[in-house]
Amino acid sequence: MTVTEYEPKIVGFLCNWCGYAGADLAGTSRLSYPTNIRIIRVMCSGRVEPAFILNAFENGADGVLVAGCHPGDCHYRSGNQHAEKRIEKTRKLLDLVGIGSDRLRLEWISAAEGEKFASVIKDFTEKLRVSGPSPLGKELVVEPVQHKATESIYDILKRTGALYCQECGKCSSSCPITRLDPLYSPRLAVEKALMGLENAVLTDKGLWSCLTCYLCRQRCPLDIEYDELIRSCRAKASANGILGNCSHEGVLYSLSRLMANPEPIQNRLGWVPQGAEIAKAGDVLYFAGCLPYFDVVFDDMGVKHIEIAQSMLKILNAAGIKPVLMENERCCGHDLSFTGDMSNFEKLAKMNIAAIKKSGASTVVTNCPECYRTLKVDYAELFGKPKFEVMHASEFLTDLIDNGKIKFTGKLAKKVSYQDPCRLGRHMGVYDAPRKVISSIPGVELVEMERNREGALCCGVSAWMGCGRHSKQMQIERLAEAKGTTADLLVTACPKCQIHFNCTLSEKMPVKKEEVAIETCDLSVLVARALNLTQTPNVVEMIKNE
Amino acid sequence: MSEKPSVLVIGGGIAGIQASLDLAGRGFQVYVLDETPTIGGRMAQLDKTFPTMDCSICILAPKMMECYRHPNIKLLTYSELKEVKGSVGNFQVKILKKPRFVDETKCTGCGVCAEHCPIEVPNDFDMKLGMRKAIYMPMPQAVPRMMTVDRENCIECKLCTKVCRAGAVDFTQQSQDVELNVGAIIIATGFDQYDPSEIIEYGYQKHRNVLTALEFERWVCASGPVGGHLLRPADGGIPKKVAFIQCVGSRSRKFGTPFCSSVCCMYATKEALIIREHAPDVQVYIFYNELRVFGKGFQEFVNRARDEYGVKYIRSRPGEIREEPTKSLSIWYDDTLTREIKSLNDVDLVVLCPALVPRPGNKKLAEIMGIELDDCGFFKVTHPLFAPVDASVQGIFVCGYCQSPKDIPDSVAQASAAAARAAEALAMVQAQRLGGR
Repeated sequence: MTVTEYEPKIVGFLCNWCGYAGADLAGTSRLSYPTNIRIIRVMCSGRVEPAFILNAFENGADGVLVAGCHPGDCHYRSGNQHAEKRIEKTRKLLDLVGIGSDRLRLEWISAAEGEKFASVIKDFTEKLRVSGPSPLGKELVVEPVQHKATESIYDILKRTGALYCQECGKCSSSCPITRLDPLYSPRLAVEKALMGLENAVLTDKGLWSCLTCYLCRQRCPLDIEYDELIRSCRAKASANGILGNCSHEGVLYSLSRLMANPEPIQNRLGWVPQGAEIAKAGDVLYFAGCLPYFDVVFDDMGVKHIEIAQSMLKILNAAGIKPVLMENERCCGHDLSFTGDMSNFEKLAKMNIAAIKKSGASTVVTNCPECYRTLKVDYAELFGKPKFEVMHASEFLTDLIDNGKIKFTGKLAKKVSYQDPCRLGRHMGVYDAPRKVISSIPGVELVEMERNREGALCCGVSAWMGCGRHSKQMQIERLAEAKGTTADLLVTACPKCQIHFNCTLSEKMPVKKEEVAIETCDLSVLVARALNLTQTPNVVEMIKNE
Repeated sequence: MSEKPSVLVIGGGIAGIQASLDLAGRGFQVYVLDETPTIGGRMAQLDKTFPTMDCSICILAPKMMECYRHPNIKLLTYSELKEVKGSVGNFQVKILKKPRFVDETKCTGCGVCAEHCPIEVPNDFDMKLGMRKAIYMPMPQAVPRMMTVDRENCIECKLCTKVCRAGAVDFTQQSQDVELNVGAIIIATGFDQYDPSEIIEYGYQKHRNVLTALEFERWVCASGPVGGHLLRPADGGIPKKVAFIQCVGSRSRKFGTPFCSSVCCMYATKEALIIREHAPDVQVYIFYNELRVFGKGFQEFVNRARDEYGVKYIRSRPGEIREEPTKSLSIWYDDTLTREIKSLNDVDLVVLCPALVPRPGNKKLAEIMGIELDDCGFFKVTHPLFAPVDASVQGIFVCGYCQSPKDIPDSVAQASAAAARAAEALAMVQAQRLGGR
């Protein structure tokens, strides 16, 4: 496509009362303006989620216009104020992901401002003509569905060992979701599949309730790979157009899919503090994962996860390691692979493997257990064992401590409990490393929750699938268990666990806050704190301030 | 070959005892090898038998004594097999007789030494629930009735030497090499209990009110650690609710074993009846996977437990057992018939029915004798249908649980079969020697 042929495509989300009425007036007034806009009417500009906008870009938009009522004129009092915040957030995301915030415009257009509407469109079209087409190019091309989606249910049952099922009910009585929502159970899912009720399996809402937390598989005497079974069935369902309820309107999947497009160049290294030593090529690569995105998406929850990456970087530097940080590192694809989007997952995997190879790294360190599992197991499954070793931060820190590369000088008088992330613990069998790291900090006392290690309770959400009542119940239950240990601090080794716990702690809940309020902290941040490399605000105090 | 054709029987449990008595009765010389200080094996540990509800030791002890007294049987207890050479009709066997540090010709088994011994250690015979002394007899009905010094735990205070009126304690005793020449060998090493502590969700060895089935047999046995009372192990309280969990480690592809242990459905029912007979107000639950009660009178036995004794059968493998602050337990399960997921609370005692597995020592035995084991550790036979007791070397036979999972009557029947096959092999050798064929 040459530049002369390029006609910008604009998706306009117009509020029913002002923006849309303004456009209507422009029409009835016979004003002429470029035909580049496709209008979607929404009841309020405040309804426009970041996900809608990202989706528009995914589907080929070169620019997005959101138009609402002037401040103070919102027909729902404050919808446009929400819109402003959301657009601000989305701009940040667009800059991060490499589409550019100039392609998103928020305008206040009243019902009387037909002319303003016409001129905004003219101006925006001209600007987009200058900036050129969206870096995503044409509409997202989705490759043909992958093997996991074309497999028959019987083959899935066979591959995952589910044909051995004795229907003993150990899985269902272990499942934390089934206990709260008896409509879903791993046993019933297998039972339906065994009866050959393919439709029933694929359309079952419960298919998307599963946390793939591995507890059923851990306990199943027949070693049925439920997590894999669910993942494969989801791939099959999504290939048939059946999708689950994604939390946050799927904004995180959109981001992952956008990263699966090879064209945009991300700006994801803005978090690296000045003076930090990083390399473009070298032995150790730090895979930051989606941490830079989390802080933007969850800014209203006060998530400051970039501190995890910063802490890890400081620790690595303190240990004399100058890690490789990839400028265009992409999402590992975990969430896509566990929600059935195998095709984009494979694209991400391919590009990440190539980029890591190019860096010459022999060790890849990740803070996120999902990245850890995906890079280590799922990539290997797709493309064979890679030449680099994947280590979770907890394992790498253990090595650093064992080899005397980092030394704790001060004391950190804290009673600490530890949440085993499902991907790190049950999926990957890493239980000891994080505990070793915690215990090696002078002054820190590790107190275990009743359900720990293999039996740990999941944080309630995985792969950003449907966070609902049951997730909240699980989180409250788990936080209460942590609080019951009399620990001051709940340490996790998974940024997502921490987001989920903090989310619950920042919301209204059916129990008294003091029964569950406990400060959460990532393992790497704890270590950085103990090494006097960083300070962390106290979550418990934050809650009291509200 | 000694004057009389002879047979070595490895294992002094009910299968070994039956095979020995059969052969001895036919005039063969029999040597019974057992690694423990007494014969009796697993059956001696049981409280009762199914489906007849006989007192186990009451029907076993006479057979043990018969073995001891039989002129054609020699007991080699507290001994180990070291070497086997030769072939059918002429096996040269080396056995290590471990020192008891007690003169077998003098000890009367009066037990005064144990009364004075200051050292207490958990008794293996009582599944480590009860204690014994460093000089000990594993059980009151031990055969041979004789004390043994456990040198690992003995502090050599020699108090036993002083108090023994027979002067039987002898700390200078050395291990003895015994060399035998036997025509055939019968293996009857029985089973071991799978250790369910790796199935962490059941909390075995973490929750004190969780026992294994064999532990429970000792726990309620009149000769057991608490004198046959039904108590909560954690605090000695009186239980009101007891639950059994079947298939713990059996029929599994991950933990334990792939096979069905074949006796658990029945012994759990038996133990449930024992409980109801002890205390009729105790509620008993059996969490089963499939009720595999295939023997004669077995289904009727279960029906009786259900209908007459009110034992509640729930089709489920529970997901987890959690301990309440009172040490009572709650069992989370999916009732797979009603599809309800719920918890059974305030359970005072949970009895796990672990897989019964071939003894780990079988591997060494198989190496010594040059015979084969199957993947699970059972001794292989030359044909599963038509030669169910013939091991992979001629002249060596297997019977009882070490051949495949089975209960007491089947073990006894197979022991007689093995004895008959051994006799046949010996007769064949004899006939060849006499110039036949």
